[in-house]
Amino acid sequence: MPALMGLENLTQYLPSWVAPTPAFCQIVTGMLVILVMLHVILGGCAYGIMLERKLSAWMQDRVGPNRVGPAGLLQPIADGLKFIMKEEYTPRGADKVLFMIAPTLIMIPAMISFAIVPWGGTLELSQLPFGLAKMLGVEGITVRLAGAVVNVGMIYLLAVASLGVYGVALGGWASNSKFSFLGGLRASAQMISYEIPMGLALLCVVLTAGTLDPYAIIEAQSHGNGMWNLLQHPVAAVLFYTCMLAESNRAPFDLAEAESELVGGYHTEYSSMRFAMFFLAEYFHMITGAAFFSVLFLGGWSLNPFGGSLDLPMQGGLPIVLAQVGVMLGKVTFMVAFAMAIRWTLPRFRFDQLMKLAWEGMIPTALVMLLITAVFTYLGWASSIWAGSLLCVAVMYLVGPMLPHQKNPNHRIGMIGSRFSPLVEGTGSVSSHPVAMSDAAIPDRRQGLQSIH
Amino acid sequence: MQLLAASAIDAYLPIGIVFVMAVIFAIVNIVASQLLGPRADGAVKGTPYESGMDPIGSARKKFNIRFYVLAMTFLVFDVEIIFLYPWAVTFTQLEPRSPEALLFLGRILFFIGTSVVAYIYAWRKGVFRWD
Repeated sequence: MPALMGLENLTQYLPSWVAPTPAFCQIVTGMLVILVMLHVILGGCAYGIMLERKLSAWMQDRVGPNRVGPAGLLQPIADGLKFIMKEEYTPRGADKVLFMIAPTLIMIPAMISFAIVPWGGTLELSQLPFGLAKMLGVEGITVRLAGAVVNVGMIYLLAVASLGVYGVALGGWASNSKFSFLGGLRASAQMISYEIPMGLALLCVVLTAGTLDPYAIIEAQSHGNGMWNLLQHPVAAVLFYTCMLAESNRAPFDLAEAESELVGGYHTEYSSMRFAMFFLAEYFHMITGAAFFSVLFLGGWSLNPFGGSLDLPMQGGLPIVLAQVGVMLGKVTFMVAFAMAIRWTLPRFRFDQLMKLAWEGMIPTALVMLLITAVFTYLGWASSIWAGSLLCVAVMYLVGPMLPHQKNPNHRIGMIGSRFSPLVEGTGSVSSHPVAMSDAAIPDRRQGLQSIH
Repeated sequence: MQLLAASAIDAYLPIGIVFVMAVIFAIVNIVASQLLGPRADGAVKGTPYESGMDPIGSARKKFNIRFYVLAMTFLVFDVEIIFLYPWAVTFTQLEPRSPEALLFLGRILFFIGTSVVAYIYAWRKGVFRWD
């Protein structure tokens, strides 16, 4: 008698393949999380651009965007509409197909990488309000608040992070512009170089936690299980954060789009929504990178850096899980704002310095850190691995000067009439004996003129 | 705790969904601005931007061999790192200071050592010199 059935038996109207098994509940939760978080991150990208403009204005003592809407809050919407209404422009001689798919190739990896981030802990479905659990027949089932619960989460992160380089390289090559080509080359070299220290820093964390599952990595950092990895693995944290900035082509690693020398880098020739996608992908990378940094080093939703038992529980009803999501998003916002502050504080690297930092600085450090972590794990000292970080810094401090270093290419070239090869007084010709390469005071050439008057 | 068996292929379904959403998002964006934006072309407008100069030749020129050598060096390390992940997960399951753990440690040190030899060779050859 279906007509007499009350709300407590909703499940019987569903098709037979919809069984409230734990696996099915997890997949449905994952899809809901993805649907919500995709929109949160897309909105976050739009307002991240706004936040960056406001932050830079604040740091440079300006006002920033304040005309569109109250306090300029509608500026991102105006920007988005403007992008859509602009002309799609393809330069002559460009490879039309590659030129069109390059922005999608950079956007898709940026958009799918957040799928494995656990935004909150384990939700007990029996504690849902209004007796929903009974209605749906999901009592006693727990689900995790992550898009996809896969046990190889960290490998997925590495794999997807590597894919972004295709869009950059293809966009630079397809444009048929020399600026784009050089920008694309530089960006690809940079992205692949910084992937190695990132993978090694991640490996240090995995070696301590003993798992590739991001949820288990958070669990190991919270609720009496241990300190945040920021305190346990400070060297790995610094390496990972630096690589994260370099992977998303953020300043001070924005060599690819160095305005002063390469105009716009690999997206010089792009306009309209295609350009907006390169731009959006950068902010997407920044937000998911901040989320992964929070998961790996800031203990996810953990509130106690020292791993005491006074902390948010891993599992609970809706209020606790929402509090966890709030803490997580707060940490992500902080890390994104930190990246923006870095952009407006540090000057850009030169390309040889960038390569030197990755290959001659960060990779040896990461390798030493990995060896120390492996030995500490073998000796069973994994809970005091922070001492290993100190050891790593000490080793690099001692060994660093012995490594073969390239010399500084910024030689002082004796330019005619410069302070290193000044003009010989009275003759107008260059002195044959350039002044020694020193920072001595500039010779005062006005003395001769003064004697005339 | 009743959780999804992590090896089940079902667990990857949400990733498939988000991939499809990303593809749709990208395509809709491109098509929308194709439809809504204006269209005009001209002799000067079509040329690639080179700060106002007339472009000389194609942009797809030979590029420096350093980029190529760097990419090869990267491949060595990237593949090595991927091999290290399963090791890291297994290694932590072993009893600390047991002979088995020592064997695991020794093997991986040898494996890393072979890559470090290649790394030192590349370094001394000047692969990382960009001046």
